Amino acid sequence: MHALARTLRRDLAARGLTPASAPAEAAAGRSEEAAIVPAELVEGAELQALPVGTAAPWPDPLAFLDGTQHAELIGYAGAAPLLFAEIGAAVRERRGRRLRTVQAERQWLVVGRPAALDAATLARPGVTTLALHDGEPPHPVRDLVLARRAVDQARGALEVAVAARYRARADGWLVVDGSLAESPAWAADPRMVGVVKSHASLPFEGAALERYLRLPPAHRSSIFAPGSRRLAPVRAWALRLWPWEGRDLFHGLVRVEVAPANGTPAIAAQLSRWLLAERAPLSTPDPRWDRLLYGIRATERFLRHAPRPVGA
Amino acid sequence: MTAPAAAPIGRVVATEQRPSTPHQVTFWTAVGAPVGIGTIVRVEGDDRVVLAIVTEAFAWTDVASALDAVVGAEGDPGAAEPPTARTEVWLFAASVLRQLPEEPLQPVPLGAVHLASAADVAQALRMDAYTAGDAPTGIPVGLYAVGDLRAPVQLDADFLLGPEAAHLNVTGVSGLATKTSAILFLLQSLFQRFPRHRGSLAAVCFNVKGPDLCFLDRPAALGPADAATWRDLGLAPAPFADVQYWAPHKPDGVNLNTLRTHPDLQANTTPLVWGLREVLDFAEVVMNRDDIDAKADAFIDFLAERVVGKEFRDDLLRGEPFHVQTFADLEVFFRAIFDSLEALGRGEIWRTHHVATIRKVRNRLGNISTRAKGLVTDDGTASDLPWGAFRDRALHVVDVAGLDPLAQDLVFARTVSKLREHLERRDLGVDHVVVVVDELNKYAPADGPDTHVRRMLLDLAERGRYLGLVLFSAQQFRSQVLRRVVGNAGTAVYGRMDPDELATPGYGTLSPALKAKLATLPKGELMLRHPHFTQPVFARFPRPAVLSGREGVERFPPAPDLPFAQAVARQLRQLGGTAGEATVAELLHGRREEDVRRALAATRRARPDDPVAYFRAALGAAVRPVAGAPRPRVAPVKGGDDPYGL
Repeated sequence: MHALARTLRRDLAARGLTPASAPAEAAAGRSEEAAIVPAELVEGAELQALPVGTAAPWPDPLAFLDGTQHAELIGYAGAAPLLFAEIGAAVRERRGRRLRTVQAERQWLVVGRPAALDAATLARPGVTTLALHDGEPPHPVRDLVLARRAVDQARGALEVAVAARYRARADGWLVVDGSLAESPAWAADPRMVGVVKSHASLPFEGAALERYLRLPPAHRSSIFAPGSRRLAPVRAWALRLWPWEGRDLFHGLVRVEVAPANGTPAIAAQLSRWLLAERAPLSTPDPRWDRLLYGIRATERFLRHAPRPVGA
Repeated sequence: MTAPAAAPIGRVVATEQRPSTPHQVTFWTAVGAPVGIGTIVRVEGDDRVVLAIVTEAFAWTDVASALDAVVGAEGDPGAAEPPTARTEVWLFAASVLRQLPEEPLQPVPLGAVHLASAADVAQALRMDAYTAGDAPTGIPVGLYAVGDLRAPVQLDADFLLGPEAAHLNVTGVSGLATKTSAILFLLQSLFQRFPRHRGSLAAVCFNVKGPDLCFLDRPAALGPADAATWRDLGLAPAPFADVQYWAPHKPDGVNLNTLRTHPDLQANTTPLVWGLREVLDFAEVVMNRDDIDAKADAFIDFLAERVVGKEFRDDLLRGEPFHVQTFADLEVFFRAIFDSLEALGRGEIWRTHHVATIRKVRNRLGNISTRAKGLVTDDGTASDLPWGAFRDRALHVVDVAGLDPLAQDLVFARTVSKLREHLERRDLGVDHVVVVVDELNKYAPADGPDTHVRRMLLDLAERGRYLGLVLFSAQQFRSQVLRRVVGNAGTAVYGRMDPDELATPGYGTLSPALKAKLATLPKGELMLRHPHFTQPVFARFPRPAVLSGREGVERFPPAPDLPFAQAVARQLRQLGGTAGEATVAELLHGRREEDVRRALAATRRARPDDPVAYFRAALGAAVRPVAGAPRPRVAPVKGGDDPYGL
């Protein structure tokens, strides 16, 4: 089968198409949200691939923000599921090449319909409850989806809170794993950068999309205003961190988001050069290593392995 | 239990692959923590305290493979460092020295790890059992130095000099001032701290190389670091106070065969001279294995018991009795036997001894006086160590560096045997004697002939501690020494080691990191094994407070050999005589050198108030040759043509 696949890839290349061998891990994001959300170009008349120059080290201090979540079903009250979740967020600041955790918080939640939470009465120290909307009759599958979405939102809120605490004491650059649209404060913060690894939502279509997805290494796209960021407008551009040929269109491709004030070609080029320098060290063996910055991965690992309180 | 150190420097980690055991623990530290191979740490947890010594160290990062590192640097080793340093793990493996409480013996708890304090070091090494109390027996051997901590490491005298265990062996490559320095420092420490309630102590060193041990009574100029180490160990940096040097003569019989001939050093340098009696008891030493058969042995016994030092009468040999005291007398005795056998045609047997056996013994014994000329004298007078009058804390150095190897063996064998004899009889003058032997691989090789010296060393190693006879030995390669000799050393010291030596099976119990440390040990640092220490321990010792051989030779250059008469005059001056060289030259005029040597030995032995007068008397009246009347000449026969005068 593998030999036949190789032959077919060669045929595709011969016909001017793009062969691929390894889809970029998690590049699709939430596949149910995959869509073209047209963006507005703010740099030039048409989308271009622009070289960003040589990688340059990001001046100290540089901080990384990330959040984690883990949820598991712990039971039902009638047909209504109860989900237990741990969410966490942390900021790790880099000075002198060393990362140090400067903000961290963890929360434990039990998520379910209000009636289910009342019936369970899970009163444990440090555990809070998160009630789902009670408008429709319980449906175990739908409720579980809603519960997980609620955990997502809670984790996002925790990240926002942790970032706010960090910003209250430091004004250095803060790199966020994901979109700045989580918070209007982030979207307006002139020292925050969002690095988005997933591409479920794409800003262009047609030839522009092809140029967008075929950015050469160390090139960025023209700056655009994402159409999906109405409440918290940002500026964005795509940046190719690693060569993609022979792998996947999304390999090494990230979308960079900044506050509108930073949406200038000069700042985009500068931030892109800094981000290129963040390719090393590699985040292997994480399968998303081509888009996952090491600082983000280190923050995520801290959240996964840092000690929990006794009983947690 | 002692109070914990201020802040933990690590945490115990136990995994399925690397679990904690009662004897092994693994812990991690921050990168750059002041921990290394040999560091003693204290683990606390579950109401237990565990003291352990670091034996292995590991570090790694989260890089998945070397390929990832290459890709990250885009194949360029000169690329700038990545902006973020990878997460790095420092992990240490430590071997447990002691658990408190000691029972039940359990795995090391998952606790915080602290650097050991001085009290922890004492507990870890079980020194608290013998360095405190009413009758302490601790002997400082070095400092455990980590960071700012400088904790004395002490050996237990009962396990160093006996009776519990005994002997010390030092291994290390040459030239890094470990072996000799370590032994000398430990001797100085012993002399200062060996408890009086454990008896008296002396030491005998054999100087086998150049000027190595020739200046042990002379102070060294210590640097600040060494002086501080002496101070931290609670010892006074002073040279040995009571040192006596023994050196054989050169073949001329009057100049000493040692590098310690500077005039300022002669007060405590005494000739070592042995006669026939002293040598005959150790004839076995100078014979090779083929020589030692029952017949030769029987004849030597016959000589020792019936002839030497006694009146021996055999009318068939000569009319008057033999009084064999010297090699010269012995030669006369042998000559008489051979003449008798030849003259009387009595075949080849004399008193059940075959003539070939007699000739072999004669040759071997005669060979001694040739090869050991200067040590062995023909005239029967001896100048020897003060058997029975050894003083407490006295050091005797026997300088055999200039002797033929056979003579070295003889000196060594006889000295140790005499020590043993006197210690058995408890009449040596002291209760314990430390015998210092360098180049042990030469005297007790693992492979090689089973010599008298080798057997004697084995006996000393295996039974000496019951007598108070203790061996401090050293060699470059421990693996090349008879295993039973080094194996009996209760205390072992390792300096800088040769990697090839470390690859031998004897070091199989050491971790690779310990071996790496041993192969790179700096000057003045050593690894110790001692019965109280459950794991090897590293310690720093100061430079001994005595002049090294090289320094000594520079400061006290050896005096050149003197002509016979001047050498005699110098020896008389050392004995307190005031005669000038001209007077002595006049005294010696026309005298045979052997007569002079005999008179000088007698004077040395008697130690008279007026050495010159005694010497003159010992020489006796000069016997002038009497000129005989000239023989009448016979006139030649005058002849004609006959050339024969016929």
